[in-house]
Amino acid sequence: MSNLTKILIVLLTLSAILLCGIVVTYVASADNYKEKYAKLSSDRAALEQEKESLNNQLKEKIQQKDDAEKSLNAQIALMKTQADELKTKVTSLERSEKELVERTNSFAATTKDFQATTEKQTQLLTTAQEEVKQLKAEQIKLSKEVEQTSTAVVEKTALIESAETEKRRLIEEKADLQNRLDKMMKSGGKPVAAAAPVTQEKGFARSAQPTAEAVNLKGLITQVDSKNSLATISIGTADGVKEGMKFHVTRGDEFICDVLIVDVDTDKAVGILELVQQSPKNGDNAATNL
Amino acid sequence: MSPEAQIRGTKPVAMSNLYTALLAAAFGVMLVTAAFVAYKCYFDYGTLFQIP
Repeated sequence: MSNLTKILIVLLTLSAILLCGIVVTYVASADNYKEKYAKLSSDRAALEQEKESLNNQLKEKIQQKDDAEKSLNAQIALMKTQADELKTKVTSLERSEKELVERTNSFAATTKDFQATTEKQTQLLTTAQEEVKQLKAEQIKLSKEVEQTSTAVVEKTALIESAETEKRRLIEEKADLQNRLDKMMKSGGKPVAAAAPVTQEKGFARSAQPTAEAVNLKGLITQVDSKNSLATISIGTADGVKEGMKFHVTRGDEFICDVLIVDVDTDKAVGILELVQQSPKNGDNAATNL
Repeated sequence: MSPEAQIRGTKPVAMSNLYTALLAAAFGVMLVTAAFVAYKCYFDYGTLFQIP
């Protein structure tokens, strides 16, 4: 074997190993185009199907949009009609509002006048009430003065009567003494008997306390407090009621009870129930004399 | 072994086992490469010599 043959064998071996390595590497790293093709084909089919479904959906949406547009157009037309009607109503309401505002202004002016008149009337009423109070107080004072004057007149009358009686007694005593003196003068020095007046000495008159029976007051039961055995009558100091007076309460011909006055106001009096035969009621008669 | 014996038709005998082994190795590598390429073509494309 020649050396050239040996060299060729070695080169053949090396080149075979090198080329086979290259071929194996290329084939091992080569892409699987069939698999890629199948995958792309399936993807394309899926995309085609999806595209078709999307087209169908698009058509449905377009149809729905057309329907919604039609209905909305109809609603818009209806709303426009309603808006026109509402504008008309608003215009009429504005007119009525203006009228109402004018009426309100006139009513406000009237109310102001009425308030001013009411205030004046209230002031007049207050003044009149104060005057009534003053007049009541004056009436009470005058009633007291009248009572005092009446009492003084009665006292003076009694004093006058007693003075006249004393005067008559003294005149009679004087006449008797004069007669005895005349008899002594006639008989010439006989003793004269003691004079005996015909009118008996009665003493001095005293002022009498007015009693309820003498006053003869009449009123009505206005309030009853059965729990505390109290009753209110409709007359007070203005009518001459005083503490300690006793009123007899009657209903028709029936005697109900007695009321002993313990507190007196100008136009009412409060008393304690006594001798209760029946429970008194509002409207029963209360009088100092039966 | 002499060349005369080969000419005379006797059984050939390798002159060197080293180079014979190299040739066998080269042949084996070629054979393994061809088998690998055939295997890949068949299992990837389903055929050996046709374009699918």
